[in-house]
Amino acid sequence: MAQIAAQRYTGASIRRSEDPRLLTGRGRYVDDIKLPGMLHAAFVRSPLAHARVLSVDVCAARALPGVVAAFTGADLEAMTVPGPDALSTLMGAAGPTPEFTLLATDKVRFAGDPVAVVIAESRYLAEDGCELVEVDYDELPPVASADFALDPGSPPLFANLGDNIARSRSRNEFGDIAATFAGADRVYDFRIDVHRHQNVPMEGRGCVASYDPDLGVLTMHAATQSVHVAKIAVTMRLGMEPDKVRVLAGDIGGSFGLKIGASREELATAAASRALGRPVKWVEDRTENLTASGQAREESFNVRAAVSNDGDLLGLDVTMVIDTGSYPGMGGMVPAIIEAMLPGPYKLAALGFESVGVTTNKAPYVAYRGPWASETFVRERVLDLIAKDLGLDPLEIRLRNAAPRTDPPAVMLTGRPLAGVTTRESLERVAKLADIPAFRRRQAQARAQGRYLGIGVATFIEAAPGPRSPEGASGPMGSESMRLRLDEDGFVVLFTGQMPHGQSHQTTLAQIAADEFGVPFEQVRVVVGDTDVVPFGLTGGSRSATMTGGVTLHGARRLKAKVLDFASHLMEVSAMDLQITDGNVGVRGDPASAVAVSEIARQAASGEFGADVDARLEVEAVFDGGEGGWSGGSHCAVVEVDVETGIVTVERYVAVEDCGVLINPAVVEGQIRGGVAQGIGAVLLERSAYDADGNFQSATFMDYLLPTACDVPRIEIEHLQTVPLDADVNFRGVGEGGMIVAPPTIVNAIEDALSPFGVRIYEQHLPPARILELIATAGSAQPSGSAQPGRSAQPGGR
Amino acid sequence: MTDIAMTVNGATRTGSVEARKTLADFLRDDLDLTGTHVGCEHGVCGACTVIVDGRAVRSCLMLAVQAAGSEVTTIEGLAPDGALGTLQQAMWDSHSFQCGFCTPGFVMQASAFLSAHPDADEQQIRAALSGNLCRCTGYQSIIDGVLLAARRSRAGISEGISEG
Repeated sequence: MAQIAAQRYTGASIRRSEDPRLLTGRGRYVDDIKLPGMLHAAFVRSPLAHARVLSVDVCAARALPGVVAAFTGADLEAMTVPGPDALSTLMGAAGPTPEFTLLATDKVRFAGDPVAVVIAESRYLAEDGCELVEVDYDELPPVASADFALDPGSPPLFANLGDNIARSRSRNEFGDIAATFAGADRVYDFRIDVHRHQNVPMEGRGCVASYDPDLGVLTMHAATQSVHVAKIAVTMRLGMEPDKVRVLAGDIGGSFGLKIGASREELATAAASRALGRPVKWVEDRTENLTASGQAREESFNVRAAVSNDGDLLGLDVTMVIDTGSYPGMGGMVPAIIEAMLPGPYKLAALGFESVGVTTNKAPYVAYRGPWASETFVRERVLDLIAKDLGLDPLEIRLRNAAPRTDPPAVMLTGRPLAGVTTRESLERVAKLADIPAFRRRQAQARAQGRYLGIGVATFIEAAPGPRSPEGASGPMGSESMRLRLDEDGFVVLFTGQMPHGQSHQTTLAQIAADEFGVPFEQVRVVVGDTDVVPFGLTGGSRSATMTGGVTLHGARRLKAKVLDFASHLMEVSAMDLQITDGNVGVRGDPASAVAVSEIARQAASGEFGADVDARLEVEAVFDGGEGGWSGGSHCAVVEVDVETGIVTVERYVAVEDCGVLINPAVVEGQIRGGVAQGIGAVLLERSAYDADGNFQSATFMDYLLPTACDVPRIEIEHLQTVPLDADVNFRGVGEGGMIVAPPTIVNAIEDALSPFGVRIYEQHLPPARILELIATAGSAQPSGSAQPGRSAQPGGR
Repeated sequence: MTDIAMTVNGATRTGSVEARKTLADFLRDDLDLTGTHVGCEHGVCGACTVIVDGRAVRSCLMLAVQAAGSEVTTIEGLAPDGALGTLQQAMWDSHSFQCGFCTPGFVMQASAFLSAHPDADEQQIRAALSGNLCRCTGYQSIIDGVLLAARRSRAGISEGISEG
């Protein structure tokens, strides 16, 4: 394996260059932007889940002093161009897609759907104006569950679909399902449910749109994971030429998948700015964020599992229903990813996967950290349920089924090679760190005292970026571009389409570039967030470590070669004999020859050279992901369940992860811990709850509970030495794994704690009240397994 | 509108505000002190925490008129001239934060707490910060930063450790 030129920074927990501004209140978030003449937008939202809009009267609002304008859905339609959701278009969603307007016109589809927007001199006055908008609704029966949505008699949310099927039922089969199930000793039937989650970044959505009527240019200050995707949305919906739209972004207060592109409200804000010729700011409040920004998950899985008496998981046949809410967005894309990932690192012989997506009167569906995470939840839950039934140890059943690392690698049933996957290593290591035998002794002692401890293990792999396809035709995640330049001040400047919102790219990419080019870390500038200067890109899908780390490495290498080539003309030395160290170009072995790179860059900018000399010290680099590779790991949790109150305490949490070569261990560990915290929240606290009429029940932080410093334990992390696949780039993504694997890890531990009660768990949300119910109803509720006819009988079959 | 005056980060600041304007909005909009962040506007997340007369308060739940005559410290005033104080330095050294939006609230809350409880242990610090929400970090790095700051303060060290 080739090495980075120097490893001074890469691999070290370099302090973040973002932090001095953030720690002193000098970050620049979208709500911090104040432009001359700026107005403020507030949205009137539907109080009903499902209703026809009969009339919207904004006259009184318009008459309020301080209100500058009020627009209805019809007004906005006249000001914009009809069109599909930009993200769905970009990702090539198949089939008929729901047709809807920026603000509701004919009907509202969830409690929180925007109906009108009031623009005023302050947010206070805009909200006053909203109070004066009168909307007449004709209430329709709410579609508040996936079951009802599947009923052909349910009132369709979208007229153009004709029913509530957002993603039509489809089925794919891999391997010989009939033979696999017929030959199995046992066939289990489980129904596994995952509840509705949401992202809840500490900063909600928002933008400042500023239209310059003289230039005809719209500048959008956005909080987005991609300024270019946001720009595409603005150009499409506002019907503007790309050169008349510029999207900028500064610091962003988290996203976790929520802020991809531009939302309906942001597009409406942009349209309002253009109509008024003044800057308009919209920043959602927390109620809007919880009610209307977007939600995720809410899937049910009917799982049939074919298993041998020894615990070999031979086949899975899964039917999935996903509740994509009122505006499906990302929801339509989730089932295909779940299908592809369902085999995980295990050697299944057969997989059947059927899925259907439905629309309901709930908030729009968005990406949330590991949008496909339920494949891991289902698989890791099912393995524990089977292990319990067969009397196998949960670790044992995983090791038994994990595909061994072979050359050539085993191939997932759904097509991807499991190249370099270290599942077995991480399972064995996490079990050792957790010292399971010692825990079992402690568990027995605790039980004798009426205390219920449990341990849970789960494992995952994540395609971050995933391996190169067997055909080798394309990279695993498309390509990533970067422009790199040596400035006259000696700075290496990276222009990236990544849009960090907590990922520390301004630190990690600088580490790689500094090492590869040969300048101090402080001499690298990472430019983000301006469609006029950065290439296309998106922060998401855990792509930046490999894709952007890789393009940084290759780009810095090329820039260095170019600088050395130019310097060789200046210094009249062969480029082969030159090197760059610590920001100086010099002849190898001759320290006195050193010239600062800033001096080289100044000469390049000012001198006149022949046609044979390329003095433009800038390169454009593209990286296709190289050989790619998997991220993955195994986590272990120890919990205590108070069976009187139902409160679960996570006592210990150990993660063994493999994300390849670490760029910055502290950054990696922060990603893992943050993801695990969200997983703990998902299981113990968080749920986007609706009542039977589609009223949202968790619209404040008193109702939607985020984990606090008292809920999340210390998370112990160990990094596995990875299996390098690529000659240069073996950094792998680590953004989503924690959130993917923590939920099954915690649930497995809770079930283990409650095993004396015979509790079996088929769901993910386990707040105290539910724990008490599970204990009270244990033994009577759910299934275990059913033996095949003529084979050994199983207890408790459903 | 009501005319108010208060001391903010050591300087007298005046304004004319509606009675309903929150202290957070006054600081951000009228005084351009945008380091104080508004995360929930109902007093749960703690992002807007500032120090008023020595106590950490939620500036989204306090009206600007209620703070008239008070002494207010915001994140911008914690250390002079954009420098890092002991706590901020320790948090930098500990990789405490990611997106940075909750940061000012945590720093102000921890700062007020450490002033009153310089010998606090981890559990006490966790409890003291349990009214501040962070969605990125899982809190461990934040707690580690506060513990490091407390340790350095007790040892009389304010300089950062060198990490490169």
